[in-house]
Amino acid sequence: MIPALRTTGLGVRLRRTWVLRDCSLAVPPGRVAALVGPNGAGKTTLMHAAVGLLSPTTGTVDVAGRAAFMAQDKPLYDSFTVAETLTFGRRLNPGWDDAYAAARLAGLRIPQDRRVSGLSGGQQAQVALTVALARRPDLLVLDEPLANLDPLARHDVMRSLMVEVADRPLTVLISSHVIADLRDGCDWLVVLNGGRVQVSGDIDDLLAEHLVLTGPTDLADGSTGRARVVEASRTGRQARLLVRGAPAPDPRWSARPAGLEELVMAYLRSPETAALPAPAAVRA
Amino acid sequence: MIWLTWRQHRAQILVTAALLAALGLLLLGSAVEAKLYVSGHAPPGCPGPAPACWDLAMALADRYDAVYTVFGWMPIVAPALIGAFWGAPLLGREYERGTHRLAWTQSVPVRRWLAVKLAVLGALAATAGLALSVMVSLWRPVFQRNDLFGNIGVFNMVGVAPAAWWLYAFMLGAAAGALLRRTLPAMALVVAGITVTTFTLFGLSEHYAEPARTVLSDATFLADPDARLVSGTWIDPAGRELTEPPAGLCPRRPDAGRSNRNQEAYERCLFGAGYRYAVSFHPPTRFWRFQWTEAALLTAASLAFAGLTVHRTLRRRV
Repeated sequence: MIPALRTTGLGVRLRRTWVLRDCSLAVPPGRVAALVGPNGAGKTTLMHAAVGLLSPTTGTVDVAGRAAFMAQDKPLYDSFTVAETLTFGRRLNPGWDDAYAAARLAGLRIPQDRRVSGLSGGQQAQVALTVALARRPDLLVLDEPLANLDPLARHDVMRSLMVEVADRPLTVLISSHVIADLRDGCDWLVVLNGGRVQVSGDIDDLLAEHLVLTGPTDLADGSTGRARVVEASRTGRQARLLVRGAPAPDPRWSARPAGLEELVMAYLRSPETAALPAPAAVRA
Repeated sequence: MIWLTWRQHRAQILVTAALLAALGLLLLGSAVEAKLYVSGHAPPGCPGPAPACWDLAMALADRYDAVYTVFGWMPIVAPALIGAFWGAPLLGREYERGTHRLAWTQSVPVRRWLAVKLAVLGALAATAGLALSVMVSLWRPVFQRNDLFGNIGVFNMVGVAPAAWWLYAFMLGAAAGALLRRTLPAMALVVAGITVTTFTLFGLSEHYAEPARTVLSDATFLADPDARLVSGTWIDPAGRELTEPPAGLCPRRPDAGRSNRNQEAYERCLFGAGYRYAVSFHPPTRFWRFQWTEAALLTAASLAFAGLTVHRTLRRRV
């Protein structure tokens, strides 16, 4: 299966600083991939490289088919009406689906004769999303699409995106700081930290592989068997470990499955660990 | 892309067209009025150089000056406006609003987006400049003026000079926007750039051709008032050029106010003592040579700025 998006050894240097280093990842087609990481991790740069706004300094980026991009802050021409914004899309994109765009906006009750500057933030996000979707892309790249939206608009945007993904073969790469927003819609996770890919994998698989162990502190210094410790923290005599893989059975540990947010935070706090699909990384 | 260019820049295009149309109407009205005046008041054989025509010439000069003061500032201000409002926002505004990330991720490549915008708007700016030139050139003959070449302001409003100037200003503005990525600083850079260019070309224009030289023996000014003076030196009776006539030969008293009576008396005294005055100048017959030289310089600079704009934009898109 050809990945919808694949980067190989991708490195990007901007003004003498390496923003991305040796990033290799592959997102299978049809997935909704969450791209998470702290500010300055390189999320936007990775997205810019994916849609061709940046040329990689090293390595390669391959997109299977057409990519559409919705940039951070959802830029649109303020002085255009919604109808003119659609004309913009039609004039600049050969494969533009005008009937779809008009129907989608009608369904969202966004009037076409209104100026973009007169729309609410949620409506602007929907117009920007419509412009990206009406290009009939194979890969949709959304940079912080939920930022600056109220909770209701966040929910609406995510839900309408899920409807699109269900209707057609579309791969989505969506970045956010807020992991909770992405939990329901996404089925693939990419964690970017300090310009490197730390995690890339199926969310269900990742959750099944990771456990949170709690037990007495002295246990934490011993071996955890085939499980690899991602993050360890101590509070008093209690130790808490987030591990990947099956630990050696020990009744003194109490184990429970890790949550997505917990898992992401554990990796971000331990930049030297990684969970990548390469077999070597899993067995190490 | 043509649609997008029109939609994004129609405000500037329409305002420029409206201002040119208003100027056209003013010139048309002024020319018609002056024609009517001439047909009503001109003695037989006028306009012409005869003394009987002097009153008419004065009346026409008054009419000409009244209208000329309205748009005489155009050779320097119009390019500044074109550069600031057509050129600077072209990229500056896109970067400022972040819309470059919208425009440049559509199916149309950035290369084409930029090529269409620069070509269409550049051609429109040059055409608008040419329209100004045509209007001024049609208006001026009514007034029997003879300052097409010597008056640098008029010179830059006729012929091909305005087209080259406006194109240059637009490309300068576009390059400023590409470099600074902000509209307002780019506008400021345009105004500074146009000012510097004006004075540079003004100084440079002396060297567009080898100056003609003539030796005068009774006055320090040329018979043809439309010539451009380059320099003048005194020559003593032995034929040597002097940086300054010898002191004490003729009495030299400073002039008071705006009178130059004492200066003229001093010069008459020198001519009487056998001194002559050598003048380097460009005769008005060089009008088109100077026009094309200036247009070529400005067009070459415009192409350089266009190249810089393309280079910067393609190299660093975000």
